[in-house]
Amino acid sequence: MSSMRSMSSMGSMDVTRDMGGTSPDDVSLLVDVTVPLDRFELRVTWKTTARASGVFGHSGAGKTTLLETLAGLRRDARGLIRVNGVAWLDSSRGVFMPPERRGVGYVPQDALLFPHRDVMGNLLAGRRRAASGPGRGPDPGRVLEVLELGELRDRGVESLSGGEKQRVALGRALCSGPGLLLLDEPFAGLDQPLRRRILPYLVRVRDEFGLPSLYVSHDATELRTLTSDVLVLSAGRVIATGSPEKVFMEASVLPMARLEGFDNVLRGRVIGCDEATALLEIEPGLVVRVPGRGLAGASEAVIATRAEDLILATQQPSGLSAQNILAGVIREIREPGASEGAEGPVLAMVGIGARGLIMVVAITRQAWRQLCLAPGVDVHIIFKTQACRILAP
Amino acid sequence: MSTSPLVPLLISLKVAFWATLAVLPPGIVIGLGLARRSFPGKSVVETLVYLPLVLPPTAVGYLLLRMLAKDGALDASRLGFDPDLLFTWKGATLASAIMALPLVARTARIAFEQVDPRLEAISRTLGSGRVRTFVDVTLPLARRGLLAAGVIGFSRAVGEFGATVIVAGNIPGRTQTLALAIFSDIQTGRDQDALLLVGITTALAFVAVWSAEWLTRRAQGAP
Repeated sequence: MSSMRSMSSMGSMDVTRDMGGTSPDDVSLLVDVTVPLDRFELRVTWKTTARASGVFGHSGAGKTTLLETLAGLRRDARGLIRVNGVAWLDSSRGVFMPPERRGVGYVPQDALLFPHRDVMGNLLAGRRRAASGPGRGPDPGRVLEVLELGELRDRGVESLSGGEKQRVALGRALCSGPGLLLLDEPFAGLDQPLRRRILPYLVRVRDEFGLPSLYVSHDATELRTLTSDVLVLSAGRVIATGSPEKVFMEASVLPMARLEGFDNVLRGRVIGCDEATALLEIEPGLVVRVPGRGLAGASEAVIATRAEDLILATQQPSGLSAQNILAGVIREIREPGASEGAEGPVLAMVGIGARGLIMVVAITRQAWRQLCLAPGVDVHIIFKTQACRILAP
Repeated sequence: MSTSPLVPLLISLKVAFWATLAVLPPGIVIGLGLARRSFPGKSVVETLVYLPLVLPPTAVGYLLLRMLAKDGALDASRLGFDPDLLFTWKGATLASAIMALPLVARTARIAFEQVDPRLEAISRTLGSGRVRTFVDVTLPLARRGLLAAGVIGFSRAVGEFGATVIVAGNIPGRTQTLALAIFSDIQTGRDQDALLLVGITTALAFVAVWSAEWLTRRAQGAP
């Protein structure tokens, strides 16, 4: 495990650098399953040792089915599931571990709170297991606090807002003392501002309770913020696996990830902070100035900046108000895929820094021709501090 | 008037109470099975369960009588003990329970169908086995519908006539329920007595139907 960790951190970028607490427990998930679906069959073969892993794909790709299969809610699944060496499913030997014995914390997409119980009653629904288990269940009072649900503890669940329901569902899963958290689109159905508010809770939960987690999402930015190993599903088939930095750059995945604009996700160390901005060191010698709100006191941060908000220059620019000018080399030019038509932007994949980090810059066809951009050309990426969003903490 | 109108009322209440108690467990189990399971021959089971709803009650009563009679399936010599059902209030209870079963099973089925099976699935992932999940999630969420099933079973038992008269007879003070007493009073021309009993029955029915409606509405989520 430790050798794998150092290997992957030497690869691309600091993929495994966690935002805080890590646990020495090994996590290993081995999946080799077939599940019949309405229109096609879900076939997944996957092995991951990441403490936070993700499943990415469009809606209808089979992501939720995969999660239900792991939770033990699909009796029609065939194949093999091994978690930390324990067979949860081995249909060749007739093994099917019932859901109540798998010890998962399943947070479904639509929360599915128990309508006959109040918030605290929902949180305590899985307490019996936590109490009888090896004492891994966190204190419900602490969960209320971390998820900021204290004031809602005696409220009925019907009156809660979407974001509150999601938090209660997350808290209910945590309180049951799970060994693995399964989160199905924790942001689905929430508007953008609300998403930004839930994300820090997930980061906090991951760090505070140190639970191995599997996130299902159709939002690449979320997975890049939260996970270090991603499986990409399309129509029931695995089309890519690996670190998010690598996977989302692949030609078959990037077009799926950029439906709502593609985010470049950067993580780094906070090395300076003034009243309005902060300096983030992505790697030695590679520093960006980002909005400082909420970063005072933080040691690390994750930020996003949209491919559409970046400017490319072939010469060192001067006299600009933009605070971030990063030197790089064009690695690849991608023309819009057939699905986007000719109007789609051209994507310049620009390598920056010494660790092979790639940033994606969306440019017009005209700019591509005028600047004679091609692999190997030295460029500068220019972006404003205000074009950066803080994703975490 | 040979007996007080209170006597048939009390017999009716006793018979209906025990019939309801007897019919609820099988009604709930059948309702749950029909709501949650699919199995070969499900439609046949469904039809059999609903059959007493369409058969003339006298036909059901006669079949019961044949079973209870000498050499029948439920004959004392065959069972090894005497169930003491022929011409007793227990017989009236059995007849009423069988006649109430279709309505109780049907209402229970609807109650269970309104419980989101995904909530049960979540309960399983939280560490509760099947039985625990049924007690903690399914029953509480179906409770109003099941209460309504009980009230409907009770009402049906109060109104039972045809099967009861054949199995239990019409013995004043022993098996003569309100429905049977009204029939006897009309037969013997005691119109005033009949009218009084009809009044009592109507009041009882009103309360039962009203509470069933109220419970069903509550079960469907309306205030």
